[in-house]
Amino acid sequence: MKNYILKFWQGFFTIMIGMKVTFRHLFIPAVTIQYPTVRPEMPERERNRLYVNMDDCIGCLQCERACPVNCIEIEIVKSIPGEDLGITSNGKKKALWVTKFDIDIAKCCYCELCVFPCPTDCIYMTDVYEFSEFERDNFIYDFVTLTPDEKEEKKKNHEEFMIKKESEKAAAAKMKAEEEAAKKNENVTKSKNNTDDKPEENKE
Amino acid sequence: MIYDWLYNLTGSEMIAIGIQSLLPLYLFILPFALVAVLLERKVAAHMQDRLGPMRVGYHGLLQTIADILKLLQKEDTVAADIDKKFFDLSPLLVFAGSYAAFAAIPFSGAFMGSNIDLGIIYIIAVTGLVVAGILMGGWASNNKYSLLGAMRAAAQIISFEIPTLLIVITVIMITGTMNLYTMSEWQTGYFWNWLIMGGPDLGITKILFIPLMVISFLIIFLSTLAEVNRTPFDIPEAESEIVAGYHTEYSGMKFAMFFLAEYANMFAVSAIVSALFFGGYQSPFGYLGNLLEISWLIPIEQFFWFTAKGVFFVLVQMWLRWTLPRFRVDQLMSFCWKYLIPISFVILLLVGLITVL
Amino acid sequence: MTVYDIIFYLFAAVTLISAFFVVTNRNIVHSAFFLLFTFFGVAGIYVMLGADFIAIVQLIVYVGGILILLLFGVMLTNKIVNVEIKTGTIHALPASIVLGLFAGAIGAAVLNTNWKIVESPDPVPTTAAIGRMLINEYALVFELLGILLLIALIGAASMARR
Repeated sequence: MKNYILKFWQGFFTIMIGMKVTFRHLFIPAVTIQYPTVRPEMPERERNRLYVNMDDCIGCLQCERACPVNCIEIEIVKSIPGEDLGITSNGKKKALWVTKFDIDIAKCCYCELCVFPCPTDCIYMTDVYEFSEFERDNFIYDFVTLTPDEKEEKKKNHEEFMIKKESEKAAAAKMKAEEEAAKKNENVTKSKNNTDDKPEENKE
Repeated sequence: MIYDWLYNLTGSEMIAIGIQSLLPLYLFILPFALVAVLLERKVAAHMQDRLGPMRVGYHGLLQTIADILKLLQKEDTVAADIDKKFFDLSPLLVFAGSYAAFAAIPFSGAFMGSNIDLGIIYIIAVTGLVVAGILMGGWASNNKYSLLGAMRAAAQIISFEIPTLLIVITVIMITGTMNLYTMSEWQTGYFWNWLIMGGPDLGITKILFIPLMVISFLIIFLSTLAEVNRTPFDIPEAESEIVAGYHTEYSGMKFAMFFLAEYANMFAVSAIVSALFFGGYQSPFGYLGNLLEISWLIPIEQFFWFTAKGVFFVLVQMWLRWTLPRFRVDQLMSFCWKYLIPISFVILLLVGLITVL
Repeated sequence: MTVYDIIFYLFAAVTLISAFFVVTNRNIVHSAFFLLFTFFGVAGIYVMLGADFIAIVQLIVYVGGILILLLFGVMLTNKIVNVEIKTGTIHALPASIVLGLFAGAIGAAVLNTNWKIVESPDPVPTTAAIGRMLINEYALVFELLGILLLIALIGAASMARR
């Protein structure tokens, strides 16, 4: 009987304690925030959307190599002499045109491994974390600042330059060959003087 | 009473009856449900340190209206193998049962649906329709969760009717009437005349009644809480066990009917508790209308006090909901049969002895 | 026709139609649910007759208690829902003869009785009078009924424990 009443009293008393706790919580300010209008402040070393500052990019391909999921695709074209690409913010001279710099952010695993190798600190994590899209293709971010025409132009320039170089090379080679031929002739004329050496060379 | 006024105004018995019978619905239940749903969500949110609905209107004030518009437009999804006739009838029956209870609730001295002599017993009787409606809905849904929920609801409601009735009989023994209007008038005056403070009769019985009445108030509050299937007694609609109980298969307006009935019931039981133990519509501090000698102000004040008491107990129900976890079925039954019923029998006996002496 | 007449005919119709469905329905759960409306209609008619206490008790005991127990019994009994209830007619000829005789007798009794028509008195609250009667005049019957119910309760409990 005593136990029975004690149990009843305990039940009542513990409910009162619980109600006191919930009543106190009624006046504790909410811990939630009104998300789209009020945004949480992100921590200092947040890892969100990648961004590439193309002014600083020297096209060294280090980030592409570092990426564990191969979400970065870069294509570079060498500049031709006389073209001024400017210098990066930390004073490095740019020597390569970047004609393709695609990051497939859907593949990105936010490991930040591409950020550390960059010699000019041009690829980094931003604080943008809302970038949902309706099309998967929209996740492939193109950072190249050149227009398609410019890209074509650079490629053409480079090709022309290469052709020119080739031709120059060829010309140089030709000249060299001619020179060598001339030399040979000289040699031939010379070798007539010392024919003992030549057969030995041929043997080897 | 408002009926005579309506009768004089319209001159027709039928129109007067029709208007009077619809008054509680349009003037009270629908606005109350609007407020209570929002209140429930806000109270729940703030007790869990959240904010709750914030988008529609200032701090989400219009959220319920938006929800109602949504419910009205919703497609009425109906499963293929249900028992169509009873499936459609069940929400109506449940709502009719809980609305019928409002007929005998004294909102104020001037308005009361019907001043019937058996008021409190009538309310308990018509809520029996709710049980039948729930069983009907659960069975007609042809869904094991619905049936299980309906069975649990019926078992729970008819078990907890026993302590409720025993306490009601105790109160009837003290007041000598079953009429809620007379009962409220009996507790008139100031708050120390309420039954929870021992009633208006001074003397030794008043002091003896106070502890008994506090315990009986607790018992009737808990058992009516169980009758309206609120937490911690919400095993009939336990979401984590049986989806949503008897209204799993319902959608759209039919679901809204169940919902409305639930909120109407919440207020009805709170009104019963306040009418029995807290003086009904009586003001605890006297009336402003008496002070200023404006007679038409008194019924409005009474309505205000009645609503305030009812809403207070609804708030306590919500408060309990976010405090206590759900009972198990066996705990629920042992709580009813081993604790509430014996204690209410003891109270019945003691009160009987005290009133005889 | 006043409002009370309309309400009376409404309750009478509810009672009769649902009672008809209770008897003719093939599904036992449907029958049980229709019984609910029969009880409810009967309670309404009690109210129209001025027997308020009986009406409320009818609701509490039959709708709130017995009907729910009945539904529980039906629903908890294994496979009773699918049982085909036979409602075919057997012994059509003798049954119709007996029925005709019975209906004729009742009809004759109704038609030939000299009904006393008096103004129905305003219904008065009956609860207090019933209570006094049960405690004073019919105390023995009341107690005996209580003992009977107790015996039934003990019997049910002992059967359930076995």
